[in-house]
Amino acid sequence: MISKSRLREIRKSLDPLIAFQYIFSYFYLILFLLLPIATIIEQAFIRDGGFSLHWFQKVFSDPDFFSLTPRGGMLFKLHGDTLYIWGIDHGYVLNSLTVAATVTICASIIGVIAALIIARYEFPGKNLFRILVLIPMLATPFVNAYVIGKFFQPRGGLLNFILYDVLHVLPWRIDVNGLVGIALAQTLAFYPIVYLNVLASLMTMDPTMEEQAESLGAGGFKLFRTITLPLSMPGLAAGATIVFIFSLEDLGAPIGFIGYSGNPLARKVMSVYIFDDFAAAVTGAISPITSAIAVILVAFAVAGFLAIKRYVTLKTYATLSKGGRWKPRTRKVGLKGMLLIYPFFVFLVLSASMPQIGVVVLALTDWAVSGLAPKSITFEYVSRLFTDPNVVRAISNSLIYSGIAVILAVILGSSSTYVIARSRLPGTDVLDSLLTMPIAVPGIVVAVGYFLFFTGFFRGTVLDPLIDPALLLIFAYSVRRLPFTARSVFAGLQGVHESLEEVATTLGATRFRSFFDIVVPLIAANIMGGGILTFVYSMSEVSTSVTLGALREDRGPITFYISQVIYGTAAVGTVSIAAALCLLLITVQVVALAISNYILKQRVAFLGI
Amino acid sequence: MVKVSLRNITKRFGEVVAADHITLDIQDGEFFTFLGPSGCGKTTTLRIIAGLEVPDEGRVLFDDIDVTDWPPHKRGVGMVFQNYALWPHMSVFDNIAYGLKIRKIPQPEIKNRVKEVLELVRLEGLENRYPHQLSGGQQQRVALARALVVEPKLLLLDEPLSNLDAKLRIEMREELKELQRRLGITTIYVTHDQEEAMVLSDRIAIMNNGRVEQVGTPQEVYRRPKNLFVATFIGRSSVLEGVVTAVGDFVEVKVGELEMKGLTTEKINVGDKVYLVLRPHDFMIRKEEEEVNELEGVVEWMAFIGGRLETRIGLDGGKVLISLDEEVDISLGGRLRVFIPWRNVIVLKA
Repeated sequence: MISKSRLREIRKSLDPLIAFQYIFSYFYLILFLLLPIATIIEQAFIRDGGFSLHWFQKVFSDPDFFSLTPRGGMLFKLHGDTLYIWGIDHGYVLNSLTVAATVTICASIIGVIAALIIARYEFPGKNLFRILVLIPMLATPFVNAYVIGKFFQPRGGLLNFILYDVLHVLPWRIDVNGLVGIALAQTLAFYPIVYLNVLASLMTMDPTMEEQAESLGAGGFKLFRTITLPLSMPGLAAGATIVFIFSLEDLGAPIGFIGYSGNPLARKVMSVYIFDDFAAAVTGAISPITSAIAVILVAFAVAGFLAIKRYVTLKTYATLSKGGRWKPRTRKVGLKGMLLIYPFFVFLVLSASMPQIGVVVLALTDWAVSGLAPKSITFEYVSRLFTDPNVVRAISNSLIYSGIAVILAVILGSSSTYVIARSRLPGTDVLDSLLTMPIAVPGIVVAVGYFLFFTGFFRGTVLDPLIDPALLLIFAYSVRRLPFTARSVFAGLQGVHESLEEVATTLGATRFRSFFDIVVPLIAANIMGGGILTFVYSMSEVSTSVTLGALREDRGPITFYISQVIYGTAAVGTVSIAAALCLLLITVQVVALAISNYILKQRVAFLGI
Repeated sequence: MVKVSLRNITKRFGEVVAADHITLDIQDGEFFTFLGPSGCGKTTTLRIIAGLEVPDEGRVLFDDIDVTDWPPHKRGVGMVFQNYALWPHMSVFDNIAYGLKIRKIPQPEIKNRVKEVLELVRLEGLENRYPHQLSGGQQQRVALARALVVEPKLLLLDEPLSNLDAKLRIEMREELKELQRRLGITTIYVTHDQEEAMVLSDRIAIMNNGRVEQVGTPQEVYRRPKNLFVATFIGRSSVLEGVVTAVGDFVEVKVGELEMKGLTTEKINVGDKVYLVLRPHDFMIRKEEEEVNELEGVVEWMAFIGGRLETRIGLDGGKVLISLDEEVDISLGGRLRVFIPWRNVIVLKA
């Protein structure tokens, strides 16, 4: 029962601007986030018109999905002169979880070590490494796994050639592929997420916390274990969970391995299962089994998300992102330390940047067809970005979708965060959760949900993906990348004292007027910063692009085109066009980051929590 | 100008009652102050008058018109916030002109009025500066100019001087009073600084825990406090406890072994327990009149502050703080005899 005074307050809050923002935010998020997911859940739990666990029972009783006993695969198995490191098959569900857990642990260890060294030690070249370790964040969807494959190929792979054929360091050739290959590619791609978040925690930590402990006699590892690590837990927890979710939903690495080697184990993860079934959906239906798998995927991701929810809501984030109020503690490194630090970073940077280096080489040379090593430089593939009509169309599709998605995300992000920050309406806590939730919803699940919901309820309209998936891709991008804009805008709003608006209203300005005269100019940089990130990540978005985008070839964005080249039986050399497209994505990202860092003077924790 | 009436205003934030059935009238042209410790609800009350908060119960009337549900932008008040709330992305001119632009005043007139108001607050020539280029005192004056330029019928000031240093605060205090007198605008002021309230106000409302404890002129609340909170919050004081032995023009009270006389505004009977409130400045070293109480005690603490002797003496019935305007020769542990007029002793029911 709402009291009379509460009603009075709600009525006051509901001026036209807030009312519009509130309704728009809920409408958008319900239509483009909640209802599609609800449709999947409905399909997964309904059989013959009634509630049923049938589809889940089917999944968990089928060893192809869930098997506690190994069903084949090779882990450190020597066969001839080759050591096969592929992984053991336990069915889609367990495989996905094993890979995600492995990636999370490995990425966390690497990320924490790298962050600790950067945050607490002073050594020549530190600022260079600080940037170089972020290279893996530059998106090279699908091609990264292709490049890793090319390095590890038992015959003709660069690494095996050097270590086995030339140097004879290894007693056998090594074949990393399948689940292990996926885990390796993902670890190298995702550790910067942990690194960035832990680094943020370490940099914002009050140095007296550690100094106090030291004065009481704690030092070295004891200090780390009792003070430093617990205090950086928010960053570690958030970073690790995001890695876990990203690994679960990732399509790039498995499709890359399938594409270059056709390895059967690379297929055996949940995301690929859904992807494959989606390919069949062009005819109009997605099987309830796929919905059940999607629900399982979401359940694990949401469980991870809820575990760290208190670290990632807008309000917590805004205080965390303020950062650097004090000078963090650093100490100089001695010779012995440098002998540990330099090899660590050189090895890390070299192996983690392999895909990015490989992409550049693939795009600019004849490596794709020359065998072991590139023989000559060519601009043929880059020029195809401007001449090949299919490629040009993919690029312009991506630009249009991402551009409109940014506008929508900016309107939605600033509306909803303004309601959360300024109104005392009921339901703002729910709105806060809804804004952060897209982090926890795997893209592939969004795709399935959109397909089921919009083919089901909007059949034959412009929103029907079977007729034209373009609009849905735009909405999917705007919702999936919403957290970037929302966080950035919310941080900006926290910096605008409420009295700045109040004084405008006492001078006769309506809420609408004060919002545009006072608030918007003051948070313009935050809006820009968030919008840029949203744009970058929309351009390189994979999951919905390769699924919904596949429903109509002429509507496919860049990543869809790349996946076609890698996954399909593409003509020789086309992989280099894919690499050229990745090069384009990398360029967009670098330019965007440069703008937000140097022009907007913002340090948006990019892909931070 | 306008007369402001609060009727039964109540506002809760969760468990905290920020305004507890406040009813009072602020007269046309009056300088009225809400005074109280931090968290007493004075700012909330001001924000309710401005329309920035909605009361849970009660009504706000401007000239007997109910404005309780009017949004702030329709109320025509000028407000100065504690942090000044100057817009960092606008120049001084744009800050001040904003309210006029909203009112769609023609550009030439805006220019004139901004110029006039800048003269009024003595900031001529600073139109093109930005807030961060101004000193604290200048920022404060821009905020005031911005509120005044729209010729509001009511001026609301929320601790406008609290962010200034002590010397500037006293200067600005005088300027503010002078300005208000000249413009004759109804002004409601919020502060926790009793001296500021005393100097500026025609009347003061003393607030505590969301309640208005007393409304009166500075003299009334100092000399005739209605309860112990007001008596001890306004000015310095010592409090003694005693029992009433006789009631007449003056109340006779027994404090320990001591007989004292004082004044009360309450209805008091023989045998009642009461508090006696004594102001340090009211004590004298010599018996200059007949109707005085005589106190003698041991000097427990003493200090010379600004040409005055401040000391605390221990009596049979308690401790008393004394401030004398001459430097009497006393020593710690020695005895001191002082006098305080009956009319200056405040008797309050316990």
